[in-house]
Amino acid sequence: MHMADALISPEVGGAMWAVTAGLVAWSAKKLKEDPDEGRIPLMGVLGAFIFAAQMINFSIPATGSSGHLGGGMILAALLGPYAAFLTLASVLVVQALFFADGGLLALGCNIFNMGFFSCFVAYPLIYRLIAGTGRNRNRILAASVLSSAAALQLGAFSVVLQTVASGISALPFGTFVLLMQPIHLAIGIVEGFVTAGVILFVLKARPEVLEAAGDRTRLRGVSLRTVLAGLAAAAVLTGGVLSWFASAYPDGLEWSIAKTTGSEELASPGEGIHSTLAGLQEKTAILPDYGFRAGSGDDGAAEASEEAAWPNPDMGTTVSGLAGGAMTLALAGLIGFALRRSAGARK
Amino acid sequence: MSGSIERNLSALAETSDAPGSGMVKSLDPRAKILVTLMFVVAVTSFGKYEVSRLMPFALYPAAMAGLSGVSPGRVLKRTLIAAPFILLVGLFNPLFDRAPLLRIGPLVLTGGWMSFFSIIARSFLAVSAAVLLVFTTRFDSLCLGLERLGTPRVFVVQLLFLWRYIVLFMEEARRMVRAHTLRSWGNRPKISPKVFVSMTGTLLLRTLDRAGRVYRAMRARGFEGEIRMLRPLSFSPSRDGLFLLVWGGYFLVCRLVNLPEFLFRAAAGP
Amino acid sequence: MSHHYLEVRDLRYAYPDGTEALKGISFRLEHGEACALVGANGAGKSTMMLALTGLILPSGGSVDVGGTVLSKKTAGDVRRRIGFVFQDSEDQLFMPTVFDDVAFGPLNQGLSEPEVRKRVSEALAEVGAGHLEERPTYRLSGGEKRAAAIATVLAMLPDILILDEPGSGLDPYGRRLLVHMLRNFRHTRLIATHDLDLVLDVCPRTIVLHEGEVAADGPTDEIFRRPDLLERCRLEVPFRMQN
Repeated sequence: MHMADALISPEVGGAMWAVTAGLVAWSAKKLKEDPDEGRIPLMGVLGAFIFAAQMINFSIPATGSSGHLGGGMILAALLGPYAAFLTLASVLVVQALFFADGGLLALGCNIFNMGFFSCFVAYPLIYRLIAGTGRNRNRILAASVLSSAAALQLGAFSVVLQTVASGISALPFGTFVLLMQPIHLAIGIVEGFVTAGVILFVLKARPEVLEAAGDRTRLRGVSLRTVLAGLAAAAVLTGGVLSWFASAYPDGLEWSIAKTTGSEELASPGEGIHSTLAGLQEKTAILPDYGFRAGSGDDGAAEASEEAAWPNPDMGTTVSGLAGGAMTLALAGLIGFALRRSAGARK
Repeated sequence: MSGSIERNLSALAETSDAPGSGMVKSLDPRAKILVTLMFVVAVTSFGKYEVSRLMPFALYPAAMAGLSGVSPGRVLKRTLIAAPFILLVGLFNPLFDRAPLLRIGPLVLTGGWMSFFSIIARSFLAVSAAVLLVFTTRFDSLCLGLERLGTPRVFVVQLLFLWRYIVLFMEEARRMVRAHTLRSWGNRPKISPKVFVSMTGTLLLRTLDRAGRVYRAMRARGFEGEIRMLRPLSFSPSRDGLFLLVWGGYFLVCRLVNLPEFLFRAAAGP
Repeated sequence: MSHHYLEVRDLRYAYPDGTEALKGISFRLEHGEACALVGANGAGKSTMMLALTGLILPSGGSVDVGGTVLSKKTAGDVRRRIGFVFQDSEDQLFMPTVFDDVAFGPLNQGLSEPEVRKRVSEALAEVGAGHLEERPTYRLSGGEKRAAAIATVLAMLPDILILDEPGSGLDPYGRRLLVHMLRNFRHTRLIATHDLDLVLDVCPRTIVLHEGEVAADGPTDEIFRRPDLLERCRLEVPFRMQN
């Protein structure tokens, strides 16, 4: 359920980063208002615990697949929403940096998708409502399953929205949703059961732990209103950024959507960078390409058919561009190699 | 994210000490972070069908790897980790986007394929930049750079504590899984949900105990709520500023100008 | 400077559920003395050491550290004077690098930057770990961790050192270094350990703890020549003295 840099546009990525940064800052502020010395080491080691636990795969009976623990709900139950969010975020940062899990631009999306919904939505609104901080087994089970499922559904849907809004993937909204939601529903339910299991395990062995956590997790300020405000801000920010970019570069967003639906008509080139480059590419594209045609006898016919197959000379890559691209790549590699040799020689 | 513990432990060990050397390592982390971000933004800002115009960006990871002595093989290996998922999603593109876009002789490439290749190129570029950042900057230095760039202190402290204890916990998890393997049948015995729950539950209890002990150790050395560190960072305008300007400028040029076309035209010449 | 003494009078501690862990312990350590604390697991060694540093507050009796009597108010002050080396170095080294960890105490003491740096390099030199300053803490060997942990405590210039199982997990070479280090410290030292041969090497005096009480307190070789006492307290004669 990770977003990747390869599928994201800077507008969407940037907008989500803004939202995530805001959430991080807000959580930090909330934690400052509620000083708890012992929380610092607790967050640190719980983060390491979640990180390690996520690597242990377990097999889901009746299916062939394996599952792993997300951990958001457990963190929220032990730390409260703000500290849990920061802990989850830190785990995702480390994963993004060390394990190339997605990417740096997409990190903002990932922290939001996996952190916001579990810590600020599912935990306070579902888990706490059903299970509170009590010890009733059935309530804990129901709460875990429902909140995990909800968190994953919302997170998965977020991924769909972010991917489609970015316009890099050609997967249509409908198909994507149909793929993501059911899978994540299953994952969410399984994770809910496992989460309940772990919570009950800890409860049985060390009942006072959850009581201590109960003090720590007093939900200050996280009400339905706050959550809705957060979601609204995210929506407004994302929508705003997207529409601003869309108007500046009408080509970009609409054009790629048009492409996805298969239409060959190019929307009229807008102002700005793209049209300049369009002109540039048009001028430079025509001449070198003749040299590439295998049988250069039928220039006229070839030219005509090329035109038909090439409705958008200002977008995408031309053949000469590809050749140039290959040269550039080789050049980059050579430079890198040369630098390495000289660095090695200097040692 | 799941993966074999062994693989992740070795991946962590590989990058933990920033094996890159020399001038790249001595750059201020803030400069490296900002350049990496500019790079990623530039690369992902291209239209979905751009492929060749992404190529000049390869100079950055190539140069960084070269200057710091990091082997390209290692970087490549890392970028391939996230590849399967991206490939999966990317492969839908040729399926849904069938409008022909480019003709090379008898070969017709549809928009779907162009965007697929674009996705692959983006993935490699963006991920390699992140990988190089980690290879050339030790994590604690990175965190302090983030703090100077405005990240809240409590989050930075959290990142540092996490980094400090990750390996320990992964090793503990590995021991538990090994113990389970030794007592189970089959080549790669599966962990049932029930076993997983008790494993994880035990790990969690130990975690809570450790948190208590670490807190005690902190108090024993005078901790009263604030983590104090002595880590000055120095931004040198000549070295770090130049680094920022040169690469930022290069990315801007690559973004605005179609270098490959120019290059080819220049080479193909008269 | 004869005030680095530690005087314990009728120290008591009970767990929240009521079990008595310490049932009235009394002893006095003089300035510069090296004393071992031995006893079976569960005899109360760790609990006692935590109580001495004020990390847990005793339920009865008194602890006098060089003139400062331990109470909730003076706990911070007491901790400044007592350097406690924990059994598990992983608990004690929680900062990203060795430098950060050793600097942690002095920084909390409010020292200036050059002073902190001086304390760090001196403490690391004292344990022979100067070369480890920039190392990430998780990348240390067992012996290196132990040395670094001791340095984190030394950097605070404590009057009294309390060490909980300092030799555990060390290989023979590391252990030898540790013994050498402990013998050369000038601090008042209280060392809890199962390594009875280390006791012979380092501590002229030994306190034997059994079920929360002091079973014996005297010169080390005398204590180890009493097999009935050792048997009762679930101890053994040190290997060196056997046969």
